[in-house]
Amino acid sequence: MAVLRAENLHKTFRSRGRAVQAVSGVSLRVEMGEVLAFLGPNGAGKTTTIKMVAGLVRPDRGLVRIEERDPHRDPWTLRRLGAVLEGNRNVYWRLTPLENLEYFGVLRGLTAGAARRRGELLLRRFDLDHKKNVLTQQLSRGMQQKLAIAVSLVHEPALLLLDEPTLGLDVEAAETVKQIVRELAAEGQAIVLTTHHLDVAQQLSERVAIIREGRIVAKDRTKTLLARFSGEQYEIEVAAELDEPRRRRLAGLGAEVTDGHVVYVGDPEGLWQVLEVLRPLPILRVEKDRADLTEVFLKLVREEADA
Amino acid sequence: MLRVIAIEFKRGLLNLRRYPLEMVGQLVVITLIFYGLFLGARYIAGPAAQFGGRLDALVVGYVLWTLSLFAIGDLSWGLMNEAREGTLEQVFLSPYGPARVYLARNVASLLIMLGFNLVILFVLLFLTGAHLHFAGAAVWPLAAALLGAYGVGFMLGALALYFKRIQAFLNLFQFVMMFLVMTPFERLEGPGRLAGILLPITPGAGMLRGLLARGEPFDMHLFALALVNGLVYLLVGLWVFTYAVRLTKERGLLGGY
Repeated sequence: MAVLRAENLHKTFRSRGRAVQAVSGVSLRVEMGEVLAFLGPNGAGKTTTIKMVAGLVRPDRGLVRIEERDPHRDPWTLRRLGAVLEGNRNVYWRLTPLENLEYFGVLRGLTAGAARRRGELLLRRFDLDHKKNVLTQQLSRGMQQKLAIAVSLVHEPALLLLDEPTLGLDVEAAETVKQIVRELAAEGQAIVLTTHHLDVAQQLSERVAIIREGRIVAKDRTKTLLARFSGEQYEIEVAAELDEPRRRRLAGLGAEVTDGHVVYVGDPEGLWQVLEVLRPLPILRVEKDRADLTEVFLKLVREEADA
Repeated sequence: MLRVIAIEFKRGLLNLRRYPLEMVGQLVVITLIFYGLFLGARYIAGPAAQFGGRLDALVVGYVLWTLSLFAIGDLSWGLMNEAREGTLEQVFLSPYGPARVYLARNVASLLIMLGFNLVILFVLLFLTGAHLHFAGAAVWPLAAALLGAYGVGFMLGALALYFKRIQAFLNLFQFVMMFLVMTPFERLEGPGRLAGILLPITPGAGMLRGLLARGEPFDMHLFALALVNGLVYLLVGLWVFTYAVRLTKERGLLGGY
């Protein structure tokens, strides 16, 4: 059973007689222990989709199911969902971390005692226990974000929605948040992660969905998507001068030689032929060109824009 | 639901403690007003003077006036603040639903306000040696009037949720409140009297005037009318608020300010 199943979501906003289609036909699926990176440029429809999943924006069409329950019809479905929303404080600054955890724990259906116990546990885990009685407004931005994540987990939800969780954090705090996400996923937490930090998405996600102008333009396993966009190009670094007969044979195979580098574009079978030509010269490095998520993202988003 | 009321009560008290100057300010104002009333300064009670000249009547009238004002505006101010500060959507993620959470918050705030007023009152009674001869029965029409006030509070909360900025409207609404609490509809004939039954807060306020200012006996029929009026307004208020929640979610206006 998928933890999240969103199918064919549509949303159009109307303002002053103008209709803007924010989301059109978006479907997402997240299994237990899986991190789905949900990426897209500003205004692409990420946050609207996230809020439709959380029951905060009502879709015009389509369905949302969290553990096969509909958050728009059955409010207790929200008991299985935690969310850190972008552009929000998410927690009360006038309360301490422990008070926030107790308050939101009760609001999510726990007893005050259970919420406090779980809160203490999460504060220890997120290394915030020394700040548990300090006002939240006095914490650093990174600590506030860790607290927001802790609060979203206080009721042990099956699905966690993290909308830009590393936005505005310094390098160290962002690393901590990334580590938390990694650990949560390893424990079986299903996570939907939206972020503009594509390196973060690449490091953390098993699967990626890219949205542009309200439509999904790519959806696959992160590795598969990266492989698909990685070229069939190999670069070989040789620690010796290449003689003329080798150069001619390499040219015959379609390889180019520049400054001790041999660049070959072709299938792995051809690569072995290139290596055979180079034998017995000392080879320093053989590297396949690998796309990163930033390249994939930009390529997809630009392709769609051109289309 | 009780545990939500309890946690809201705790949150309310913590907020008071965190801003001691705000709390001391409130204490000073309430103390001065009650003390003024004790010294015979009737004008200080504002609209409460309509409830008769006796000290107990003034005190009850003043409590109705301040609690009604609080009941009507508290939810809207709270929603506007939460939308601005970015905690509103987290409250909406509660499986209890926003109507129940905010109802619990209202009950908790009312208890805190009521507690504030009663403590100061009893301290002053003790210090001045004054005596209040409360018609204990006055509590019931007061409660009925407050139910209606909370109903109107939820309707205004619906506007605050949808439009986000209704400060000017809320300030203006104080005069509507003054009209509802002060006008002696129960002494009018024809449409005026009917309005006194149908408008929010008015049957409870009218009954209080009868009990305290005119020394009328407790009328069960009048109380039933005031109670039904209060409950209907509360239910309609909750319905309107729930409808506004739905509309706000449909138009994606929940988080925006």
